[in-house]
Amino acid sequence: MKPRLIRKDQLPIPIRAFNILMLLLVVVLMGLPMLNVLSVSLSTQAKSDSPGMVLWPNPPTFEGYQFIWKYTNLATPFFNTVYVSVVGTVLHVILASLAGYILCQPNLPLKKGMTTFVLLTMTVPYELTMIGIYAVNKDLGLINTYTGLIVNGMISGFSVFLMRNYFQAIPQSLAESARIDGASELRIFSAIYLRLALSGLLTIGTLELIRRWNNITMTVTLISDMKKWTLPVVLRFILFDQTSTSGTSYIFANAKMAAVVLTALPLIVLYFFTQSFFSSGIMIGSIKE
Amino acid sequence: MDKQLVRQIKKHRIFYLLFIPIALYFIIFTYYPFFRGLIMSFQENRLIGTRPFAGLENYKLVLSDPSFLSSILNSLIIGFSDMVLYFSLALLFALVLNEITQKKIKQGIQTIAYIPYLLSWAVIGGVWALIFDLDGLVNRFLALFGTEPIFFLATPAYARPLIIAMGVWRSMGYFALLFTVAIMNIDRQLFEASRIDGASRMMQIRKIIVPSLLPTMKTIIVLLSIGVLTHFDEIYVMVNPANRSLINTLLLYVYENGILNFRTGSASAGATLVMIGTVLFTALIRRLTEYDKEE
Repeated sequence: MKPRLIRKDQLPIPIRAFNILMLLLVVVLMGLPMLNVLSVSLSTQAKSDSPGMVLWPNPPTFEGYQFIWKYTNLATPFFNTVYVSVVGTVLHVILASLAGYILCQPNLPLKKGMTTFVLLTMTVPYELTMIGIYAVNKDLGLINTYTGLIVNGMISGFSVFLMRNYFQAIPQSLAESARIDGASELRIFSAIYLRLALSGLLTIGTLELIRRWNNITMTVTLISDMKKWTLPVVLRFILFDQTSTSGTSYIFANAKMAAVVLTALPLIVLYFFTQSFFSSGIMIGSIKE
Repeated sequence: MDKQLVRQIKKHRIFYLLFIPIALYFIIFTYYPFFRGLIMSFQENRLIGTRPFAGLENYKLVLSDPSFLSSILNSLIIGFSDMVLYFSLALLFALVLNEITQKKIKQGIQTIAYIPYLLSWAVIGGVWALIFDLDGLVNRFLALFGTEPIFFLATPAYARPLIIAMGVWRSMGYFALLFTVAIMNIDRQLFEASRIDGASRMMQIRKIIVPSLLPTMKTIIVLLSIGVLTHFDEIYVMVNPANRSLINTLLLYVYENGILNFRTGSASAGATLVMIGTVLFTALIRRLTEYDKEE
């Protein structure tokens, strides 16, 4: 057996220095602002609005969170966003995997046409059709409704093809022997395909949940009623607009940053739970059709 | 032959049945809005009743609207800067990160760089508002060199750089992760063999890693090119009277005209022009990178 090679052919010193500098810079530029936001959100009202950078709250307090959650009632858009995102994501995962299953059937006549039909929906970014989307949703009575937010984006070509790619990796023989045993197609789909492609489901589920939670374009296209806004749109209002409207009391920096943290935290927590699926899912997703 | 086809279709009928709702969704919420917008771009602005056709009137109107023309410029500057910076910084970062041998540190840095991609543009707007405040982190840092505090968010000169920086801050880690995954998939034997041949690490990076990343580079360039003209969310979050004329992008123009002010005709004419621009640009990029050629 060969001795385990230690990397003796190191990079030249200037390049190593550059590497360390770049990594430090990335950590500082990404990490410090996040730490700053977190610390200000945990600071007292007076401290958060007085000059001086805060990288550590002293003394730490949750009064900013209490203020924004109760007094400005961030709780309402928060739970509405949970509702819209979760229901939308569940439906999205079900429909996308079903479509992916259909399109991975061998010998399915017209499959090519059906595939192209789904593929074509990916050529134009939906943002560019926002006027048409608005008009169609208006005709259907979906403007200013959460149903509208849930239904739009209920399935996407991207997720369909991602699931199809996962399904194609499952051996055909499994489905065939189940068919011989008399299992129905829906049973084969749920008992074999969904089970074996669990990491695929988690990948599109996580991506969709992030997309929905953070979505601004679709929300401001369909929802004009402030009371029905989702979290990111409310957050923008709290951050940049509330000073210009009369009738609302001044929101201090600690409460503003608490709103920022509350909008960001659920996804960061989610990320740490589903991290392992990410690198695989992300790559499969970006593989060309 | 035909009989066989009919039999095949019959055998698969459950799949067609299940495909109907999916097809209906795409027809109603993807295809129809696309054509609807296209038709509206040739009609007069009217919300109720029939809209008379107006020929190319909307297109003439939009193309002579100074704020549309300036939004073209803004979109091009912001879109291209972001595209170039996302790509080059992510590639550089992934290559640098790959040289770290301690797994824990590598993963830690990667996670820190990736987290911003999980954040809503509104959240990043909040981060920006805090660190670019008059006594925020950035001004504190600049004060070390004796610079007077700058009110970044209301100074026109910083409007575009701040928007571009927001995008880089958010997306660099994500695209770097795509490169990192591709680096991890390189055949280890290539490195072993080149080491026996006496290649230095620098040589390995240049002759093995970078060439192996070519397909990933092409994919990312094509992905990025689709989004060049569709910057909206970050603009919607950050726009204010001081920076409006400098960061007002095409999609913000479409949104404000069509959805806030009900000028649906000219807005959809603008959107159609952006669509044509995107399709042409993507086709050009695909041609230049020979994306569709091999394999």
